[in-house]
Order: sequence, then structure tokens, then C-alpha cells
Amino acid sequence: MIDSDRLNQRIVITGIGPVTPIGIGVDAFWDSLRNGRSGVERIQAYDATDHKVQIAAEVNDFDTSDYIDPKAAKRMARFAEMGVVAAHLAVQDAGLDLDNVDLERVASVVNTGGGGVTTISSETQAMARRGADRVSPFFVPIMASNMASCQVSIELGLQGPAITSAAACASSIYAFQDSAMLMRLDEADVVISGGTESNISALGIAGLANMHALSRNNDDPTGASRPFDKERDGFVFGEGAVVCVLESLEAAQHRGARIYAEVLGAGRTADAFHITQPRPDGAGAARAMNLALRNAGLDATDVDYICAHGTSTSLNDLAETIAIKTVFGEHANQLAISSPKSMTGHLMGAAGSLSVAATALAIHHGELPPTINLNTPDPDCDLDYVPNQSRRSETKVALANGFGFGGQNAVVALGAIDR
Amino acid sequence: MIAEQLRVPVEQVTAESHLTDDLNADSLDLVDLTIAVEEEFSTDDNEVEISEDDAAALHTVQDVINFLRSHGVE
Repeated sequence: MIDSDRLNQRIVITGIGPVTPIGIGVDAFWDSLRNGRSGVERIQAYDATDHKVQIAAEVNDFDTSDYIDPKAAKRMARFAEMGVVAAHLAVQDAGLDLDNVDLERVASVVNTGGGGVTTISSETQAMARRGADRVSPFFVPIMASNMASCQVSIELGLQGPAITSAAACASSIYAFQDSAMLMRLDEADVVISGGTESNISALGIAGLANMHALSRNNDDPTGASRPFDKERDGFVFGEGAVVCVLESLEAAQHRGARIYAEVLGAGRTADAFHITQPRPDGAGAARAMNLALRNAGLDATDVDYICAHGTSTSLNDLAETIAIKTVFGEHANQLAISSPKSMTGHLMGAAGSLSVAATALAIHHGELPPTINLNTPDPDCDLDYVPNQSRRSETKVALANGFGFGGQNAVVALGAIDR
Repeated sequence: MIAEQLRVPVEQVTAESHLTDDLNADSLDLVDLTIAVEEEFSTDDNEVEISEDDAAALHTVQDVINFLRSHGVE
């Protein structure tokens, strides 16, 4: 039997650990967000000369040495390393002393889209050049998608459930509902929750480029990611990890933790439509937003801000706008909406938790991050996207959207603790 | 070969067949198809390359046949 208090507990975010193209650590991350700083540059991870897409949002100066033993790091792909560092940063930011909690009750939910695709690519090339005997014995445990959650568990000593949901670009919105479920079903008291993605490689980008999903604005890297703008031509591939600490309101208050925001509820649907395109009428996305509102006990008119999925593709930004209008009607014109992807690029498996973190920070600081590069409004995208400049604004209730390839739609509702 | 790429019965494929309207190819299928055509018809002496502009002009099976003939394939 599950105790009713546990089922209905209030869940809050007390720590945020970002490893992103616009900053590592919550202070650097928030500073970049509110100042509209882009992390998109010409690709440095490999030689992209003569490739169709030559830009990406990479994490510069990513150094694991303060957080991960070199021998342990050698057994991790970059996506797992980023997940681990982000987890450490989140726990530090939460002021959570892991020596003083029951580690059997701390779960690890670090979702990812592709896992170690880059590792698969390089080991395949090694095998083709030098034969089967040259494949690394670590190949499988390095590239497997569950390894971000598992390495976080190993490195931080977490013995509650370690789970990993794959939901493409919605993966780390899923993480917050996955985590809430663990807490409400009495499987964990604390969850280290978020997402990670690091696959900036010739193979990954070639695949996305050939799909015409990526911006080819190679001569204007910082201007390439332009959600809701008329000239948008695709998203910018990014890497990074954003991990948060979730605990009950009661536990957070008991230990005097700083609370960023409350996780009020979530909604998830499937489009049942196409492997990459969203439903043009945004119906699946609209339903996910409505379900999140219902799950959180909210009316549409309660919402102040939406952190959009806003990828800068012609299809998503239009469908998402239509979905928002479907859900909110007249109130859509009163909403503020912005897309951090305009600055960070699309972090795929980490995009959702980046949006949740940005939203929690917006609530906490009373300031909305902008959608940058919004220079030419699209008449079909005619809502308030907080163009180009951040805006001081009190947000009591917000939604964070994530819509993934395969038609996975996920929305989390967040609120100020004193709303 | 087109039948196999687009997963349609081979009887359905004629020279006049329109790749999207008749054979249900979406934008991803078309890119995949051009890659398969390049691989199938390239030889050591004659590398077949279909640029994105070339690909945009291929609407029917006959278009593909014409393209290959004009690029040294018989």
C-alpha cells in the first residue's frame, strides 16, 4: 500500500547542474541565458570543411578532472562524463550532503537520446581498419545509453533505482515525470534527474544534415538558431548535460534548502503520426499541455510563461505555435514564450532538462530569458516570444515543452513555491 | 531497385510512376533513394553523384532513368 501523503507529496527542485555550450555551473548558465549569449560556433570536434553543416553548439573547456578520476573517465563516453559532472554540480548547488542521506533511497534518472553514437562510429572505423581484435573491451559499456544514469549512480554512490528513458528530444522532460513517479510510488526520496547528450561527430551531424533538419547558416553561427523567426532553416546540434536535484518540499524545508521551483505535474502523449515530423495541427502537443495542466490542477489562464521546444525548424515552431493557441485560446496572447535553443542549440536528450532548469531559474529570479535572433517575425508565429532581450517578469506558473522524433510529446508544469 | 527502396510491389513501378504521388515517398525516402542509386550505379570508372539540386528535379522513375543515362549509366 502506498501512503497517501507520499502519493500526493509536493516535489521541488533544489539544485541545478548545467554543463552547456553557454556555461558550466548554474551561475554561468543563468548569466548567459539572461544576457542572450549564444554558444554556437564553427565545429571544432572534427574537421567539417566541405561538409554541408559546419556549425554546432559545443561545450568548450569541458574538464572532468575536478570531478572524475582519470581511470574512471576512460571508461565513459563524453555523454556519460557530462552527466556525471552535471550531477555533481547539481548536488553541490543543492547543498545536499550525500554522506547524510540514505543512498538506497536516492535514484538516478539521467536520460539521453542517442547515448554513445560517437563511440560506435569510432570503434567501427577501428575495426574496419585493424580488425575485430582491435575493438575496445570497453566498447559496449561505454556506448550503452543507460550508462549516464549508471555512471552517476557509480560515481555518486546512489543505490536507488537507476533508470533511463529514451524519448529523443523529449527525453529529459520525461525525466521529471519518471522521477516524480519514483518518488510518489515510494521507490525513492531524492532523485538526481535530468538528461545528457554528446554526439557531435561527423556521422551524427551527417545523418541530421541529410534529413534537412539542421541549419546550414555556416557563415553566421550565433545567428543560425532562430526559433519562430521567418528565416529559420533548421536546428543547431548541441551537446551538454543538465541535471537537477528533486526532493519533497517537506524534506527541502526541513534541511533549509534553497528551492528554485515546484514540479506541479506533467503530461505525455504520442502523435501516432511520423518518425520525425510533428502533427501539423499540433494536436498531440496540445493534448500533452492540457494533460500537464490537468495533472497539476491548473487552468490554462494560470500559466504565465512557456519554455518552448522551439527548435528553429520550420515545422516544429509552427506546429508548436498552433498547439499553444489550441490550448490557451485568447490567453495565448497574454503568455510569454521563449526558446533557450536560440542560444544553446538543441541538446537533444538534454534539451528538456535544460528547459526545465531555465524555467525554474526564470521563476526563481523573476526574469524571462529571451528568444534571440528573432529579427524577422513570421506572420504565422505571432505570439510573444520575448524577442532578443530578457524581461523582468514575475512567473508563478510555467510549462516546459519537449517534442521528440517519433512523436513523443512531454510537458512539465512548474510553479513558484509561493504562488 | 526503386520497388525495394520504397517498399512497394515491383508491379506497381512504371517509368511514369511519380515517386511521391504514386509511390508514397516522403522527403526522407527521397534522400535515402538518391544514396542507394549512387551506390548501386557507381563503378570504379564512373562515380555517380546526385547533388541536392539534381535530386530536387527527380520526380518520376523516368527522371531517375534519364539522369542515370546522362551520367554514363546504361
